[in-house]
Amino acid sequence: MIDFTYRRAASVDDAVRSGAGAAQQTRFIAGGTNLVDLMKLDVERPAAIVDINVLGATDRSLAAVSDLPDGGLRLGALARMSDVAWDARVKERYPVVSQSLLLAASGQLRNMATLAGNIMQRTRCPYFRDVAMACNKREPGSGCSAILGINRTHAVLGGSDKCIAVHPSDFAVALVALDATVHVHGPSGARAIPIAKFHLLPGQHPERETVLQPGDLITAIDLPALPFARRSLYLKVRDRASYAFALASAAVALDVQGGTIRAARVALGGIGTKPWRSAAAEHALVGRPASAATFRAASQAALADARPLRDNRFKVPLARRTLERALAEVTA
Amino acid sequence: MQLDSPLGVGDAAPDFALAVADADATSLSDFRGESVLLVLASPHWDPASEMLAARYPDAGDGAPMPRIVTERRAEITNRFGVQGGSALYVVDERGVIRWRWVAGVDVVPQSSVDTDDDRLSLTRRDFVQSAMMAAAALAAATLAPAVVNAAPAVPDVTAALSHGPATRITLDVNGRPLALDVEPRVTLLDALRERAGLTGTKKGCDHGQCGACTVHIDGRRVLSCLTLAVMVPDGAHVTTIEGLAQGDTLHPMQQAFIEHDGFQCGYCTSGQIMSATAVVREPWGPADDDVREAMSGNICRCGAYPGIVAAVQSQRQSRSAEGPR
Repeated sequence: MIDFTYRRAASVDDAVRSGAGAAQQTRFIAGGTNLVDLMKLDVERPAAIVDINVLGATDRSLAAVSDLPDGGLRLGALARMSDVAWDARVKERYPVVSQSLLLAASGQLRNMATLAGNIMQRTRCPYFRDVAMACNKREPGSGCSAILGINRTHAVLGGSDKCIAVHPSDFAVALVALDATVHVHGPSGARAIPIAKFHLLPGQHPERETVLQPGDLITAIDLPALPFARRSLYLKVRDRASYAFALASAAVALDVQGGTIRAARVALGGIGTKPWRSAAAEHALVGRPASAATFRAASQAALADARPLRDNRFKVPLARRTLERALAEVTA
Repeated sequence: MQLDSPLGVGDAAPDFALAVADADATSLSDFRGESVLLVLASPHWDPASEMLAARYPDAGDGAPMPRIVTERRAEITNRFGVQGGSALYVVDERGVIRWRWVAGVDVVPQSSVDTDDDRLSLTRRDFVQSAMMAAAALAAATLAPAVVNAAPAVPDVTAALSHGPATRITLDVNGRPLALDVEPRVTLLDALRERAGLTGTKKGCDHGQCGACTVHIDGRRVLSCLTLAVMVPDGAHVTTIEGLAQGDTLHPMQQAFIEHDGFQCGYCTSGQIMSATAVVREPWGPADDDVREAMSGNICRCGAYPGIVAAVQSQRQSRSAEGPR
């Protein structure tokens, strides 16, 4: 690991200032589960690390789950995955969120990793993680090793001729299904970003992954009041039974009244270059009976634009069946 | 716990009877007239001390080599002020300490060289060489290969041991204070293993994928390989596998792993047990599958999983039999 300077942030403003001044050279650290790993691989080479964990001690809301007046929940950016996953309000009102967190990583990692770090985590693309390989995301302009390489785990939705790396977060998939809001403190003040606009498609610039600018610090993630999210589900399919990234996953919430679907939220993970909300699947669900035929049609719609490559063709039917099963289970 | 300062350059090395008598020496003072490399290491650091002693003679180029004495009995290391830690001393022909490297509890690893001292009876070349060798041997045990390769070209023994500005951290490890000067890039795992001599915590993948390095911070299981030592909050309690047993009485989970055959080679076991002792406090369901899910961050390549599940279940059941947690 290269050498770097380390200091603890004195306040949110202090962290924002230190991040803004030095652009790409400064990284915030909280759980460190992704950053330290990538620093050991030489993928991340920050000159300075600013520890933001202490901010949660001075302002507990930064690391807590709290009720919003409208019935939603505010999830502090520094809250640990395990604490949020086990929170009774999260489990009751947003089971899809609790499940997406518990099905991710391991018990130890969930005790360390924060929510903000989770949605900021970098791709698991093996070419991105290997500095000997070309990668446009890690080194813009160097080429993509995955498009013609071993691309079994890569994206079938949202890829470009520059990058097909999957966004690895499960939690972020649940968030896009729920229309969560990301609160950010930046050099020009505070702002709120809809989660759907938070992550970027790779396009011609896969090195840009989110809309955050240097110095921006996530302070909270708001889950809006969504009564029918009490009936929501996260289904994850992977190479082993536990402790693996998704090959395909589905976050679903359905409002079914009298056998008819009144509202639907569908998002997919493991198959997209960003957490993938599927308007097409939701359109195929709303107003129709909650039946196997409807679920099948929605699943077809969700993957209609899929562009698989040599090794990841299996993901298209896998994602369809994952979504179909999730819709069936959440209405069972 | 009262900590003494380790003996330093210029101090007389306390005499002691050798654990294994030589043909011509039964105590340290029998080596008067020649220099000695003294390897002091706690039992926890056993493999490293063996490596130090074993590698040292290989590094020579014909120059006179000091004799090597390896000593790890607590009553002796305590007399050098090196409790629970590790140290290398070069003792000259008159029994005076001429160089040292110390790591351990409440001690800042450092080397001190005083080659201009005209009382020094080792030649400057011999002395620097022996100090270099000690540093290189130590580096081989603790530092990256690139550092070892760089050592011969840098005629400053401290260069092999320290790189950038260090930060003083104070940890509470297994109920004992541990003060260290560490660079920010030192992980908690390396600080525990290489600096505090607590080698029960294992380095498996070093990337957060295997769980061998699991320790507790304030009772929560975390991965020490992905935790920078400087990040551990002030006053936080770190618990390692060495902190579970009460004297000679094993922790019930340790006993359960033995009784249920929860290991074969044992490399993942300290991480498994640290995970397991935290899992019993987490709100998992009662089924074997819940244990499998809860413990999935601890990989066992021997495949001792059935025994691990049985061991964890035996402790969860005995805990629930005692009443609410």
